Amino acid sequence: MPTRRDMMRGLGASLALAAAARAHDGPHEHEVRIARFAFLPARIVIRAGDSVTWTNGDAAPHTATARGEGRETGQETGWDTGALAKGEAARITFDTPGEHAYLCTYHPHMTGTVTVLPRDG
Amino acid sequence: MTSTLRKSPLHALAVAACLAATAACADDPALAMNDLEIAHTAYTAGALDIRYAYLALAVSESAAVREFAETMIRDHSAVNAAAGRLVAELEVTPQDNLMSRKLVAGAADKRAEMMALTGQAFDCAYATNELAYHRLVNGTVADRFIPAVTVAPLRDLLEEALVTFRAHEAHAGHMVAALGCNG
Repeated sequence: MPTRRDMMRGLGASLALAAAARAHDGPHEHEVRIARFAFLPARIVIRAGDSVTWTNGDAAPHTATARGEGRETGQETGWDTGALAKGEAARITFDTPGEHAYLCTYHPHMTGTVTVLPRDG
Repeated sequence: MTSTLRKSPLHALAVAACLAATAACADDPALAMNDLEIAHTAYTAGALDIRYAYLALAVSESAAVREFAETMIRDHSAVNAAAGRLVAELEVTPQDNLMSRKLVAGAADKRAEMMALTGQAFDCAYATNELAYHRLVNGTVADRFIPAVTVAPLRDLLEEALVTFRAHEAHAGHMVAALGCNG
């Protein structure tokens, strides 16, 4: 489960692209672009403690929101970037290993997965 | 022409499809459109879909329909806001035109038709209209408007908007199927 959320507004984020499951000497930043109603890449593999930043390039607003019981029951148990207008970005830090499936709540056909590996695995 | 429009609420969009699909339509001087007219019609099409969506929110009790309507309001508002910013940046004024007026008239007729419906009948009327509306508008934007515009920023905006509108068309198709409105 992610433990920190950091919203960044604007186009200023300059983050290194992810090299999935590469050797880690500390937390890394990863980037997922939202373009043409898709998460790019749709699947990303990171290490516990890493952060992922979603940046929306579409005219339509999007979200990156954890799937699961929390969403279906309306409970606030999952992570959520919130609405991202064009050019906006939001960062989520993942501390717990596991498979984190997510979607855009506005356009549910848009789906993705963040796979979090143990930090020292 | 007017009486035909009233008999068929989607007639205005048939005009749009005609523009998109046939050389005869494209060659009709009365239907030739400049950049400012294209901008006006594209904006109008989005604004009309927002009005359909507010009607759906007022009438429908279907979660799927309401979610779709909220998405239409959110997305078309974003696209039209971008259009507004572009118009301000270019310091131009979009021009009303025959197609915009036909769209407005056709949508008014369609809304009047839908306002007489409730429940599943309304949901299916809304869903099938959304599918038809996006299908025809998308064809017009792709095949007629984008090739015709001469201002690059407007073309970029239309291309970007088309991505959104095509997602809406697919979404509407799923909604029609999920509601059991086919046939």
